[in-house]
Amino acid sequence: MERESSENWERDKPGSQGAGWGWGDRTGWDQGAWELGNRRVVPLLLVLHWKPGAGSPLPITSVNATCATRHPCHGNLMNQIKNQLAQLNGSANALFISYYTTQGEPFPNNVDKLCGPNMTDFPPFHVNGTEKTKLVELYRMVTYLTASLGNVTRDQKVLNPNALSLHGKLNATIDIMRGLLSNVLCRLCNKYHVGHVDVTYTPDISSKDVFQRKKLGCQLLGTYKQVISVVAQAF
Amino acid sequence: MAQVIEEPKVRKYLKVNLVIRADYIAQTMDVYAQWKQPSWMVDNRRARMIPHLAWLLPALTLLHLTMQVNGLKRGATQDLKCTTNNVQVWDCTWTDPLGVSPGTVKEVCIKDRLRSCHRLQTTNIKIPALSSGDHEVTINYLNSFQSKFILNENDVSLIPDTPEILSLSANFSTSTLYLKWNDRGSAFPYPANATWEIKVLQNPSMKPIKLVSFSTTLSGKDTVHHWNWTSDLPLQCAAHSVGIRWHVDYHHFSGYAGWSAWSQLKNISWTPDSQSSVFPQDKVIFAGSDITFCCLSPTKVLKGQIGNLFLPLIRLHGENVAIHVQNVNVSESSGTNVVFTSIDNVHGTVFFAGYPPDVPKKVNCETHDFKDIICNWDPGRLTGLVGPRNTDYILLDSISGKSSVFQRLEALTNDSCCHLSFSMLPNQEIYNFTLTGHNPLGQAESQVLINITERVAPHVPVSLKVKDINSTVVTLSWHLPGNFSKINLVCQIEIGKGDSEQEVRKITIRGAEDSRYLVTVDKLNPYTTYTLRVRCSTETFWKWSKWSNEKRHLTTEAIPSRGPDTWREWSSDGKNLIIYWKPLPINEANGKILSYNVSCSSNEETQSLSEIPDPQHKAEIQLDKNDYIISVVAKNSAGSSPPSKIASMEISNASLTALLTMNEQAVGMGKRIFLTWHHDPNMTCDYVIKWCNSSCSGPCLMDWIKVPSNSTETVIESDQFQSGVRYNFYLYGCTNQGYQLLRSITGYIEELAPIVAPNFTVEDTSADSILVKWEDIPVEELRGFLRGYLFYFQKGERDTPKTRSFDTGHSDIKLKNITDISQKTLRIADLQGKTSYHLVLRAYTHGGLGPEKSMFVVTKENSVGLIIAILIPVAVAVIVGVVTSILCYRKREWIKETFYPDIPNPENCKALQFQKSLCEGSNTLKTLEMNPCTPNNVEVLESRSIVPKIEDTEIISPVAEHPGESSEADPENHVVVSYCPPIIEEEISNPAADEAGGTSQVVYIDVQSMYQPQAKAEEEQDTDPGMVAGYKPQMRLPINSALEDTTEGETEKAAGYRPQANVNTWNLISPDSPRSTDSNSEIVSFGSPCSINSRQFLIPPKDEDSPKSNGGGWSFTNFFQNKPND
Repeated sequence: MERESSENWERDKPGSQGAGWGWGDRTGWDQGAWELGNRRVVPLLLVLHWKPGAGSPLPITSVNATCATRHPCHGNLMNQIKNQLAQLNGSANALFISYYTTQGEPFPNNVDKLCGPNMTDFPPFHVNGTEKTKLVELYRMVTYLTASLGNVTRDQKVLNPNALSLHGKLNATIDIMRGLLSNVLCRLCNKYHVGHVDVTYTPDISSKDVFQRKKLGCQLLGTYKQVISVVAQAF
Repeated sequence: MAQVIEEPKVRKYLKVNLVIRADYIAQTMDVYAQWKQPSWMVDNRRARMIPHLAWLLPALTLLHLTMQVNGLKRGATQDLKCTTNNVQVWDCTWTDPLGVSPGTVKEVCIKDRLRSCHRLQTTNIKIPALSSGDHEVTINYLNSFQSKFILNENDVSLIPDTPEILSLSANFSTSTLYLKWNDRGSAFPYPANATWEIKVLQNPSMKPIKLVSFSTTLSGKDTVHHWNWTSDLPLQCAAHSVGIRWHVDYHHFSGYAGWSAWSQLKNISWTPDSQSSVFPQDKVIFAGSDITFCCLSPTKVLKGQIGNLFLPLIRLHGENVAIHVQNVNVSESSGTNVVFTSIDNVHGTVFFAGYPPDVPKKVNCETHDFKDIICNWDPGRLTGLVGPRNTDYILLDSISGKSSVFQRLEALTNDSCCHLSFSMLPNQEIYNFTLTGHNPLGQAESQVLINITERVAPHVPVSLKVKDINSTVVTLSWHLPGNFSKINLVCQIEIGKGDSEQEVRKITIRGAEDSRYLVTVDKLNPYTTYTLRVRCSTETFWKWSKWSNEKRHLTTEAIPSRGPDTWREWSSDGKNLIIYWKPLPINEANGKILSYNVSCSSNEETQSLSEIPDPQHKAEIQLDKNDYIISVVAKNSAGSSPPSKIASMEISNASLTALLTMNEQAVGMGKRIFLTWHHDPNMTCDYVIKWCNSSCSGPCLMDWIKVPSNSTETVIESDQFQSGVRYNFYLYGCTNQGYQLLRSITGYIEELAPIVAPNFTVEDTSADSILVKWEDIPVEELRGFLRGYLFYFQKGERDTPKTRSFDTGHSDIKLKNITDISQKTLRIADLQGKTSYHLVLRAYTHGGLGPEKSMFVVTKENSVGLIIAILIPVAVAVIVGVVTSILCYRKREWIKETFYPDIPNPENCKALQFQKSLCEGSNTLKTLEMNPCTPNNVEVLESRSIVPKIEDTEIISPVAEHPGESSEADPENHVVVSYCPPIIEEEISNPAADEAGGTSQVVYIDVQSMYQPQAKAEEEQDTDPGMVAGYKPQMRLPINSALEDTTEGETEKAAGYRPQANVNTWNLISPDSPRSTDSNSEIVSFGSPCSINSRQFLIPPKDEDSPKSNGGGWSFTNFFQNKPND
């Protein structure tokens, strides 16, 4: 299932426009940047192009926007999306535990205080919305998470170069999320003709001190663990 | 300060006063400085000052008042005070005397080398520095006032100008303050020493936290000085202020040098950013050091911790707090977390504690290709720092000045540590490398000087190729990357043949640049698979390269080096000759053998058979009995081998029969057998040993080997050999005429135990012997050389547990080891007749004992003995009977008198009446009644005499002894003899009789029964050995009792029966008395030897001298009783 999703993701061209990357005034699809993103440098690009104000959410473009994918989407997209969400939900707790364990004391003993899910800029998700709304919000959220987890992965490779288990979990999660993004976009494009979703990204934390990065990463994963279970049930 | 001098006395005083005042000022400033120092900087110097002040202050006050009084009294100018800030110009001031209005013109004259006067209105004057010594200064007022001063350089104070701080900056990440100021040295004569004092105050309390001083030298020009200071408390935690002052020591200035005023304070403070509130952040520190963390919090901080360790809070201003950590441990890779928990938030920071780089150890630099120098090293102690804080290394060649940098930021881990590549420089062979490792905590370095031509470890040779020259020579080439054009290479070629045999050849070749190298490898074997590989070094050996990959190569074929080993056997019918040959070993076949050519030749013709393909290794030729020479040639693709020849006929051997009958034996080990023989000079070719299974029918050939003619021994080994199988080995010697059989040997590779038991039968049986005969065990089942038989036998019958197995060591088992294997019979003697014996026979070899075969045999009965055993007792009985009859006949009167006296008339017996009256009413005492049948007992007692034992002594019937002798009677020695009248059997069912004589028994003694073995055995068991005498007829009778008494001792010795010599000693008991059988004490004597119950006649004794019978009495009685019955 994961392999299929990844193939979909690699073949499909996302329909979001440049504004969806979060630097506001940019328009036009940067295919090269997307492909680089495939090679896990999306976080780096995000950091390089980040500007103040990038974190503000942007409205959904009109339904009539251009919607095209490079390859035909899989026939059973919703099932794939559900399975991917279930996969993420199943691995989120282990990722969370692995993360705060790796950060050293007192993180494991102060998870509530240091890793509390109190992120203010986390994209919202409404369980009771229509499928289209939920898919759009899911797309926003997963985009946000993918970029954020990319930052976390980068930080952890520097801070904990020997924590290979954590690195593996982070990379696996990001891979699934990218496949999920592709499938969600396919669904939105094919069924709802939504070719563009404005997304938000987490503020750059590369200039923050190590403790802040540790803490924000932990809060992100704590939030992710909570939200993904809700999202998985919503589909 | 100068004073007016009116009188010498006063002048002297003033000079003293000046000095004292100057000291006072200096000390006062020092005191101030000391007071301004923070409390933790005050030393004992301050304590020493206090006693001086105690007396100095009142004295000075007193002096000052006195001077004022004198001045007023005289109207003189007071307090000429001179200072200088640069030694070169003095600035003197004074106070006008009372009555002189300010701005009054006055003339000031200074008496130096030249007298110079200055008119002025002010009360101060700047004059160039005066020379050393006293100078008179006169101040003349126009109103005729005049004041004179003696001015000396010693009276002048050198007070430098107040310094000014150029800049104060801070590095908040390192908590370091940087101070910069100008010394204005151009204003001073030089050289002069300047001493600076710097104070650091912590705001907002303005609490001095640091006061330091240091000296500089004034060089005659303005110089900017720097000072930095690292705070234990992060600078973010509080604002800090810095001020400086100084004083100058000029050697040529003898006046007082005082401190300047403090400069204006410079402040430094941190502008907080958005979120960070715990400091320092991401700091890298030495493991084991101390560090202070502070938290800037708008709300109250509750606790602070490092990892899981809570530490006491140090309160700073406001809600800010700090914790101090001592002796920190090495951090984890992601750093050690420090967390402050406030009421509404959690703040934290991370620090990284580790070590500076260790000195790189085992630095080794070498080149693989003369293009790059690879240096590797051991980093030594781990720093505990990873990622961007890990150690970076720089390799610097001091000769060329070039360097190479190793950064592990990309690698992040220690896996890639530690090697570094340095590009070689053309025409440079000597390198002086300095390897420096540095991390945020420090650096360390190592040096190594190398001649790179001596540090060559070539790359692995690649692209091995092998090309055939001929069947024994090939060329081997390989590619070796690198520029070796200036050196020679030494390479090793490993030539492997098979799995184990390896040969290493060493060659030296001229080096080249990125070239292929080609060498010739000779002395190879044809048609052999070789495994070749190469490694190289240089003539100035440093290291071998790694071995190249192996290259397998098969050399080309050559003609077989010799013909195959051949042998021939005549078929069983003797008409055909079967030619055998062996496939050539690979090293002699020199290729794949395709076929064989077999031909036979005689003097007349040569007959060639068709080609025989390789897998077949025999051919059959129909030949007559003439002598032929058989030739076998092996062929491969390269050609044919030399022929192997063998004569069709064997050379006859006269002693062949003897050889065969000698039947030499040999036993091998494992799968091998060792054979030896004596050297025979007639054997010129070789020896051939062939062998076959001894039980095989047809031509005997299983295999053969050839042994050189100079050998006298060989080891024959074959996978076909099996343990326990007999093989025949034949040794042939080869002469020019052909092969001749020399020896025949029978052998086993390993002997095993026989698998069958010898089949044996009983040929003959007698009463005391058994003749056993057995057969040979077949060779196939013998499984070894027969070494003998074990024969066991013991008494026993079939299926009795005792005879089911022969336990070793059992005493009843008799074992006979028959080592003469030619013996086929065995007679077992000394057996008992008519006895069952268990016979077991087992064969054995050196391999062990074979199974057993058993048999049960019963010996015949011994008839003569039986006859004797029957006849002797009968004869004895007859003789005894005859003698007894004769005696009885001759003594019949006496017998009658003794045993059957006349019975008196019971009517006359008063005793009966008495007894009747006495025992009237008692049924048990009806002794005179004639009961139908009551068992009668006669007990014969004989004291101190050995009574012959009779077999039927189960009858127990006590007999009353004579009263006089009853006490002497041994109750254990009595013999009870019972007899029963014939009517007993008829009345045995009488209840009264049963009751009265319940324990009485009647035993009929048969003479013959005495000869029964069982009876005899029982008698032997029950009889005292000393009393065993058997039955002895009475041959001599004692005459009287007196004689008996005198011969008591003899009678004791005389075993057997003794007649009763005295009738009076007879003790009769009532056979009816039941008690008579119970106890001797209850025996009742009736005073008569008659049995009143007996209906038989008692024969009265003929006379008193007649021999009396006791034991014989019962014997004869029985005899007589039985006789009528019979």
